[in-house]
Amino acid sequence: MRLPAPIQNYYQRWLSRRLPRSPLVILNQRRIFIFPTGYGFFYLGVASLLFVGGINYENNLVLSLSFLLASLFLVAILHTYQNLSGLGLRNGGSESGYAAESGSLGVTLFSERRDHYCIWLKWEGQAAQQISVPAGTESALWLNLALPRRGRVVAPRMKVESVFPLGLLRTWSYVSLEHYCLAWPTPQASQECPADGGDETVQVVSSGKAGNEEFRGLRSYVAGDSLRRIDWKGYARGTGLNTKLFEDPAGGRLWLNWDALEGVGTEQRLSILCYWVLVLDQQQQPYGLKLPGLTLAPDTGDNHRLRALDALAAYPEFG
Amino acid sequence: MRVYQVPTHTRLWLVITIIACSLPQLLRGHLWQAGLVVLVMVIRSLADRQRIQLPGKAIRGLLMVGVVGITWITFGRIYGPEAGVALLVSLFSLKYLEVVRQRDAYVVIVLGYFVCATALLFERGPGMFAYVLLCMLLLTTCLIGINHSDTGARPMGHVRRAVAMSLQAVPVMLVLFVLVPRVAPLWNMKIDSGQARTGMSDSMSPGEISELSQSSELAFRVAFDGAIPEKGERYWRGLTLSHFDGRTWQQAIPRGVDKQAYLFQKGGPEPEWHKSLMAQDRGSGYRYQVIMEPTQRTWLFAMKVPVLEQGEAGLARDMRLVASRPISESVGYTVTSYPNLSSAIGLERSDRALMLSLPEDQNVGRRARGLAQQWQLDSSTDADVVKQALRHFREKPFYYTLKPPPLPVDPIDEFLFVTRRGFCEHYASSFTFMMRAAGIPARVVVGYQGGEPNELGSHLLVRQYDAHAWSEVWLEGKGWVRVDPTGAVAPERIEDGLRAALSGNGEDSNVLEGLRSFASSGLLGKLQQWTDYVDFQWQTWVLGYNSQSQMQLLRQLLGSTSPLSIALALFGAITLLLGLYMLVLLRQDRGYRQTPMEREFWRLHQRVAERQGAPLDPGLTPQQLANTIAARWPGAAKPAREWALQYQQALYNPAVLADKRRIRHLRRLRNRLYKLLG
Amino acid sequence: MQALTKALGEVAKVVLGKEDQLKLALTCLMANGHLLIEDLPGMGKTTLAHALARVFQLEYRRVQFTSDMLPADILGVSVFNPNTQDFTLREGPVFTQLLLADEINRATPKTQGALLEAMEERQVTLDGVTRPLPRPFFVVATQNPSDQAGTFVLPESQLDRFLMRISLGYPAPEVELALLAGGDLREQARSLKPVISSDGLVKLSGMVDKVRASHELLDYVQRLMDATRTDDRFVAGLSPRAGLGLLKAARAWALISGRDYAVPEDIQAVWAAVAEHRLSARQGGSVSAMTQSLLQSVPVVRR
Repeated sequence: MRLPAPIQNYYQRWLSRRLPRSPLVILNQRRIFIFPTGYGFFYLGVASLLFVGGINYENNLVLSLSFLLASLFLVAILHTYQNLSGLGLRNGGSESGYAAESGSLGVTLFSERRDHYCIWLKWEGQAAQQISVPAGTESALWLNLALPRRGRVVAPRMKVESVFPLGLLRTWSYVSLEHYCLAWPTPQASQECPADGGDETVQVVSSGKAGNEEFRGLRSYVAGDSLRRIDWKGYARGTGLNTKLFEDPAGGRLWLNWDALEGVGTEQRLSILCYWVLVLDQQQQPYGLKLPGLTLAPDTGDNHRLRALDALAAYPEFG
Repeated sequence: MRVYQVPTHTRLWLVITIIACSLPQLLRGHLWQAGLVVLVMVIRSLADRQRIQLPGKAIRGLLMVGVVGITWITFGRIYGPEAGVALLVSLFSLKYLEVVRQRDAYVVIVLGYFVCATALLFERGPGMFAYVLLCMLLLTTCLIGINHSDTGARPMGHVRRAVAMSLQAVPVMLVLFVLVPRVAPLWNMKIDSGQARTGMSDSMSPGEISELSQSSELAFRVAFDGAIPEKGERYWRGLTLSHFDGRTWQQAIPRGVDKQAYLFQKGGPEPEWHKSLMAQDRGSGYRYQVIMEPTQRTWLFAMKVPVLEQGEAGLARDMRLVASRPISESVGYTVTSYPNLSSAIGLERSDRALMLSLPEDQNVGRRARGLAQQWQLDSSTDADVVKQALRHFREKPFYYTLKPPPLPVDPIDEFLFVTRRGFCEHYASSFTFMMRAAGIPARVVVGYQGGEPNELGSHLLVRQYDAHAWSEVWLEGKGWVRVDPTGAVAPERIEDGLRAALSGNGEDSNVLEGLRSFASSGLLGKLQQWTDYVDFQWQTWVLGYNSQSQMQLLRQLLGSTSPLSIALALFGAITLLLGLYMLVLLRQDRGYRQTPMEREFWRLHQRVAERQGAPLDPGLTPQQLANTIAARWPGAAKPAREWALQYQQALYNPAVLADKRRIRHLRRLRNRLYKLLG
Repeated sequence: MQALTKALGEVAKVVLGKEDQLKLALTCLMANGHLLIEDLPGMGKTTLAHALARVFQLEYRRVQFTSDMLPADILGVSVFNPNTQDFTLREGPVFTQLLLADEINRATPKTQGALLEAMEERQVTLDGVTRPLPRPFFVVATQNPSDQAGTFVLPESQLDRFLMRISLGYPAPEVELALLAGGDLREQARSLKPVISSDGLVKLSGMVDKVRASHELLDYVQRLMDATRTDDRFVAGLSPRAGLGLLKAARAWALISGRDYAVPEDIQAVWAAVAEHRLSARQGGSVSAMTQSLLQSVPVVRR
């Protein structure tokens, strides 16, 4: 059923006024809607048919049967409503992804008082996922979210619905969680590494592996010094216990720099930086990231990469 | 995508439900129906175990055609109640073959509702209804099951939920049952439930009633509103028989009388006799309700002179009720009988001729005619003749028995002067014959006499063995007067019933053996009384609850029967019930009950959240809650901190006791805060 | 109690603008637990350890962990003395009252294990001879954020042995200014006045156990524990040992705060330091934020 555009707009506005964005939502009567399902209408039709039959056959028992069906329907209203009422939803985790691909948002459902069975969650217009939340527990659910462009993609309105227990009525609510997913820039290959610092600023440093250390000198042994670094040869010569000292090379740490890409559009800059983050990460090169308003110290590893990508996605507002 | 499969934990419930719902019909129906259900279940269980494939469309279609064919062979048609039900039940089980998706299960469940309903068309006892309720519970269980798509759900959980929901639905159903107005049938659909039983026929020849007396089946029940008449007064008139051909008494209406004028139907033209009857002073009467078992005849039973209060029947001129259609199922009607009214109906010329008519053949009852004429000569009044006749029966060696010797030639004379052994019909027949011979208008009345009270309810039970025949004679000034010659021969029959009258009578005792009665004492008797009581209440309140009794009840309950007040009562009662359930359902804490201290905290928590219009974390400590208040309502900072301090001390400092005094103090502080929060 | 406040004041002289972390470190000491400091180099970890040692008059040693270090480097080794021609036992650095294990994640798991076992048992077995460690015995370990190259991340089972993990972080601007103006803090740490003797510290930690915790509070701790176990954002919930540690730390915090009974605020104050390093997220994301969110969602007062 499609409503005319003005009514649709008005309805959307009314919904967002009635259901404001919030990081945590407990479903209550303000938020819950209920309406019979197709089968519910069919069921009511059957009840009416039995009613007519009971009247025509002048059979009070058949009539009672139709009343029982109607009563079950009425009672089902309460039970269906109850299945959603009191259910809490709050932000779960969030998994970023590249723009034009998809990320996913975690939603945690919790219930303090009663069991909630067979709840369906979905973004409007997408496939739903089912979950049950027993009393006093929490259940988490990940929902895929299309990321149309780079940046913070705010969680769309989510539909929470259930037809449990009889399938005669559908109860639903719209939840707008104050939740977002970061969309990383799409990597864009470029020849020039927008980096400075270290010995070599232009090309990727291929030599000089991390941890390659140079000998500097000796000092007398102190408790706690590694036995491997003791100058055993000297000890054998009778010079006493001495510890060999080493030091890190000064170079080899790269700073990916926003400013190195002057004259390129914002999104493109971010895409190029993204590409280089991935390249350097793959080569296990320590790298830092300098963006206007944010500096990430040089490092390597998965967490560092994610941090860098998230920074690129969040630019220019780092939360 | 959503997977609309029927979950495995519900399959067993579906099987149980299908079998349970079709069982009543399978027991009534033909063997092939049961065979079909078994076949379907076997195929399905093999398929579920992956031994075979579920049958495809072709096989299912073939089965369907087969079922229609067998139905046609068995019933000669595929419509009509019997054949239709057989088809429905077969379809119901066949459908299970294709239940894979949730939608198929929905169809099966809806078919199940119809199968349950058809079971109630043929059998309406409380037992059957209870069984159907059980089936409904199973159907609800299935409905819950197919909607519970968690694979790990427990089957017993479905039943528990179904029981809870059904228990909540039943009171609502009762409200609907009592209050929803009964509409007249939109079109007439009567089903012959095949309950033709033994009962009175419309003629009386020797031996007919004595045969009836060997059955202990129920004829009808009577519930009195107030006083119950003496046993000797309980004559339930069914038919008057006025034409005698020498062997058989038959119903007749006087020559030249229009049938319309003889039988007054409500809404029809009112004949003269009815007008004068209604104009008469009635005196006191007995009010009672009769619940009659099906007889397939039109006559109803009532005491003299019945005035119908509730129900559908016409009044015939011989003071009996006649229904418009044969009674094919239990029916109830309420009557007030005014014994004194019998004098109101006069005896017209044509009546008199009929009531005096004797067989043309003068040889029939020759001696009896002579005796009667002798009495007529000896007596000054008709009443004297009646007395003489009764004295004759009393003083001569007449013998009351269920097994009289056959009367092959002349039933009157042979009985009166040779065998002198007979049942009520012999006495009534010969007495009436003699009265007519003596010039007194007389007729035979058949019906029932007596009835046993059920100790649990205020109702009487009239059984077939209470069948009786007696006479009515026309006495000038008194009108039709009942005379029971059997009473002259065997007074116990009238006072204590058939069993008492025949006990100590060797040849009848084996007949009595077969008669069940409440007289049998002990547990079995008690049980019978109970069953009968339940059955009677069921007939009265459930099956017999029609628009008339509904209006009467509503007038008592609501004081008015206007559509508005009924609608209001309906709406109010249902809202009340649902509201009550809502309270119970939404309050259902699982197990844990808050202590007063904990309630104290959560009340303030909730109030602050409401007032600030945004939810608060449940993880706030009392101190943090106070800080939240202080930040938003600086004016309330001091009492808030005081409250938090007190609360913290009470809950966490083991040196401080959280006694009543402290809780009261906290409550006072909280109330003060409420005011400050506005 | 006043002594504790004074001790805090002393340490704060050299670790500027980190009152909360100092209080946590002190709490950890009082609760007889080991402390893990996670930070980039140069944030003042060493200074903190040093200052603590000074103020409580603890014997102090520092070990710089490297990838080629062996267990013997920590625990000690028998060394052949060419002059006396026999073996003498050289006690490892672990025989001290306060051990600063710098960059513990640079050592191999084997070496880490040796230290952690000593921490747990509070004794060391060398060449078949079991030797108890001094009392009190504290380990303050530091590690650089684990995603640096060439390191061995401490496994969760080992992390469980640290009562707390804190992170000092960058100083606030005004503090940094003071720092720049104030000269070498490590030098200043050497000149700190002792406030409490090491015996006094042992006595104080004895008092921690006397801090009372009501049933409602224990219930709250239990609910927090339970929440970590049912929350499937975490790989695994907190161990019972963590629960006991949380309670002990909360008691110590209550004692430092001048109370003889613990309140939910005490639990919440030490929660992050006690819980975070024992939990790991299933699907990425910040453990710290998740742990903190539990504090918000688990009701303090049972409902």
